[in-house]
Amino acid sequence: MIKFIATNKWFHNHHVLRNINLEISKGEVIVICGPSGAGKSTLLRTINKLESIDDGEIIVDGMYLSDPKTDLTALRAEIGMVFQHFNLYPHKTALKNITLAPRKVRGLGKKQATEKALKLLERVGLTHRRDAFPVQLSGGEQQRVAIARSLAMEPKIMLFDEPTSALDPELINEVLDVMVSLAKEGMTMVVVTHEIGFAQKVADRVVFMDDGEIIETGIPPDIFVNPQHPRTRNFMSSVFHIPVFGETEEEK
Amino acid sequence: MITGVKITLILLVSTTISSLLLGTVIAIMRVSRIKVLRAFGTLYVEIFRNIPGLFWLLFFYFVFPDLLPPGLAIKLNTYTYYPVVAGIVGLTVDNASYVSDILRSGRLAIPHGQREAAISTGLGRVQQYIHVLLPQMFRAALPPLGTRMVHNFKNTSLCMAITAPEITWATQQIESLTFRGIEATAVATLFYILLAGVMVSIIITLEKVLKIDISSISHSETAS
Ligand SMILES: Nc1ncnc2c1ncn2[C@@H]1O[C@H](COP(=O)(O)OP(=O)(O)O)[C@@H](O)[C@H]1O
Ligand SMILES: [Mg+2]
Repeated sequence: MIKFIATNKWFHNHHVLRNINLEISKGEVIVICGPSGAGKSTLLRTINKLESIDDGEIIVDGMYLSDPKTDLTALRAEIGMVFQHFNLYPHKTALKNITLAPRKVRGLGKKQATEKALKLLERVGLTHRRDAFPVQLSGGEQQRVAIARSLAMEPKIMLFDEPTSALDPELINEVLDVMVSLAKEGMTMVVVTHEIGFAQKVADRVVFMDDGEIIETGIPPDIFVNPQHPRTRNFMSSVFHIPVFGETEEEK
Repeated sequence: MITGVKITLILLVSTTISSLLLGTVIAIMRVSRIKVLRAFGTLYVEIFRNIPGLFWLLFFYFVFPDLLPPGLAIKLNTYTYYPVVAGIVGLTVDNASYVSDILRSGRLAIPHGQREAAISTGLGRVQQYIHVLLPQMFRAALPPLGTRMVHNFKNTSLCMAITAPEITWATQQIESLTFRGIEATAVATLFYILLAGVMVSIIITLEKVLKIDISSISHSETAS
């Protein structure tokens, strides 16, 4: 579904993606983690070409992103994206946020688009908030509307960039629950997150990145509990406070 | 004097609309990724904002027809309403430069995430502007835009210099023909205050109607 082949990217002189090779199959749920500045967001954003790459190739749903003949707008319509800061349109109600793209891109009529949006609002538990403006919604509610907005396009792939890290702790689960149910329905998902519980529950693979590189990839227990690479080990013990084989400095 | 009010109204309404349209186009050019468009937009603003509006009125009235083929020039010069047309064009190009500047700031105030969200749902360039960016640009720009439009309204009086028969011109005429300058000035003052009052209340109403959105724009900025 998504394939990175020897992908490199620089911001000026800064090498932010270093020889990325990664293949993601249909229906897979991939969690990407790693320290701040590792290049996680950049990697995610290359999938729908919000960022372009300087070297290598990315193939999404059979389309080559470097090919000038690839219809990017059409491809982007098939890839949903959820942002850390929600990015709802502030001048539109929850309902109108959701119906905009189906109407303008898919050409749905007002009635059809509204029906679909109401189903999605029900799915994320926000039917009663349909006429609220983003400013009137809590962070958790905004993020659920944002997920519904992406789903309204019936995407083949969903990308999440730290969807819960701007939320108060008590609002995180309502968003994760929606994501878990999506994963269980077989959506192809690439999720940048440090929510270890979410990863343990639904991730097929966890990708650990540092300094623009994929350091290691594996099933959740392998990466979180039993990482092979010292950089992964350091990160896990410092961020998740998981004792790794009693090898951290304090425990010696 | 009634004709004066009518002409002032025509100048006001048509230049408000046309400078808004032209200003929007120039503003979009100035933030475009295409270098030529950006350069053109910047050039436009530099030229039209740094030269007084009165100059452009005189230019379009006296000079512009001479630049055209002689046949067309004669037609324009003998056209009864040419002063009004030249007035509309002159005020529009002048006011549009300010409008584009105000809208450009409005555009720069929109967080990057707005456009990214629109792109990632598959909206095309034009749709991004129509449905996501322009509505937010206008909301953010509303207060300074209102002030600008009142300014433009006052500038309509400059059209007397090219004999467009608006309120100020009519006042002058009455004064020099009947020597009843004080009465004429009093009536003109009344009309100006009335029209400005109507404009301000329209602007205030617009701000109230759109208030919820403005507060949410500033909210999302502090959130990110
Ligand atoms: N638009 C940009 N211009 C220049 N440098 C950038 C830009 N975006 C990100 N970077 C840099 O690229 C690196 C990777 O960023 P990012 O992908 O956001 O990391 P992460 O999401 O893992 O925290 C960082 O060092 C960041 O400063
Ligand atoms: Mg990031």
